[in-house]
Amino acid sequence: MNASMISIQGVSKQFGTFQALQHVDLEVAQGAFVVLLGASGCGKSTLLNLITGFDRPTAGRIIVNSREVTGVDPHCGMVFQQYALFPWMTVLENVGFGLKVKGMSRGQRNEIAQRFIEMVGLKGFEDKFPNALSGGMKQRVSIARVLANDPDVILLDEPFAALDAMTRQVLQDELLRIYEQSRKTIVFITHSIDEALLLSTRMLIMSARPGRIVTDIRNDLPMPRNAEVQLSARYNELKSQIWETVQSEVMRSLEATSR
Amino acid sequence: MLAFLAIWEAACAAGLVDPIFLPPPSAVLQKGMAMGGDGSLLGHVLASARRVMMGFLAATAVAIPLGIVLGTSRYARAAFDPLLSFLRPLPSMSWIPLSLLWFGITETQKYSIVFMGTFAPALVYVIEATRNVDPLLIRAAQNLGASRWQVMREVILPGSLPQILSGMKVILGLAWTCVISAELVAAREGLGFLIMNGKEFFQTEVVVLGMVLISITVLVTDFVFRLIENRILRWQQ
Repeated sequence: MNASMISIQGVSKQFGTFQALQHVDLEVAQGAFVVLLGASGCGKSTLLNLITGFDRPTAGRIIVNSREVTGVDPHCGMVFQQYALFPWMTVLENVGFGLKVKGMSRGQRNEIAQRFIEMVGLKGFEDKFPNALSGGMKQRVSIARVLANDPDVILLDEPFAALDAMTRQVLQDELLRIYEQSRKTIVFITHSIDEALLLSTRMLIMSARPGRIVTDIRNDLPMPRNAEVQLSARYNELKSQIWETVQSEVMRSLEATSR
Repeated sequence: MLAFLAIWEAACAAGLVDPIFLPPPSAVLQKGMAMGGDGSLLGHVLASARRVMMGFLAATAVAIPLGIVLGTSRYARAAFDPLLSFLRPLPSMSWIPLSLLWFGITETQKYSIVFMGTFAPALVYVIEATRNVDPLLIRAAQNLGASRWQVMREVILPGSLPQILSGMKVILGLAWTCVISAELVAAREGLGFLIMNGKEFFQTEVVVLGMVLISITVLVTDFVFRLIENRILRWQQ
């Protein structure tokens, strides 16, 4: 159970003269829900793009489920902030896309897609096009699409940032439920401390210029969780602890930027 | 429109315009009824329409897949660009002499004129359209396991289809220009032939009739095309 699912070994990434990531080492256990927390521009998304294989590291290597990442591969399913649904496909076709490109028959993939559409609470919307859906529904489709593909790891890049506060709360609860059911390894990016505390089993705080991981905190809030956990004493204790770190990091990067 | 026709008719009736230069609408209508009755009119319309469709379909059948490959592959683009730059400025008329030499006054010659006149602009439209596909969608597809080929077929083609179709509407109009010019030069039937033949025999009402028919046929094809487009792009509504 505690085998390493993602292993990041001495990874650096440079864009021209800009050092986006500097010597990042990280082991993510199978079944962990890791939240990467940091202010904008700290290299969170860069790290995610390296794990999916969209980008190649300048130095170091990344191993996912005992295989080195050398290109884009469906082992890491990505949920994008902007949903990235195919507008010409229905909900059912969107969710079944990964199975289609794998060569699965229509009947089989529709059956699987149907199951995950129901899991994210979109039964009855199978034949709708994305244009007809709200932001929250679109993001559910996007999550179902990744789940249907049965990846080793699910990566989410600020998936709820574009949603209103109430929809966000509902989707956070749903994601927790999905996590508890599927026991997938999840890496989730956010700049919200509350979101990090609510969802994670482990929190990594990143700093900018150069991007690196400065703090690694185990989130021992009991599972299963829901929004009510935010009222507990332990929650507030963790929150103030994280806030101190984040605050000093943000101040530091602001100073660096204004210089 | 009606007022315009009324003034035209009145001007002819009052003898202000010599019917050899411009026949009254009633004469054009009469001629149309007569030729429509004996079926010769429909024959000309169908002949031109068939040439347009054959040439247009052949051009798009090559331009769409080729354009998608050229739009996505930098290397293919670099290899093909010089040829495309050479072909693009050539008007369809300039192909008429060569096509007559190669194919004679045949149907193939008409198709080839339409093809040569529409292929290069169609290709440019398709290449442009592929560039406007959201790169995030391509990433999402790759992330879900799509190969290069699958990305082209499943994402870039449908993603650029709205723009390709609106380009094709322009190309279809261009195809009509090509076929009329080909028929004006050398043909035994078709709307271009009708106009030219009318002129030879000083039958101005036939000339005007031919022009009216070109206009109507283009409007009808445009309408049909729009219906097909709405059907294909159902997801946009």
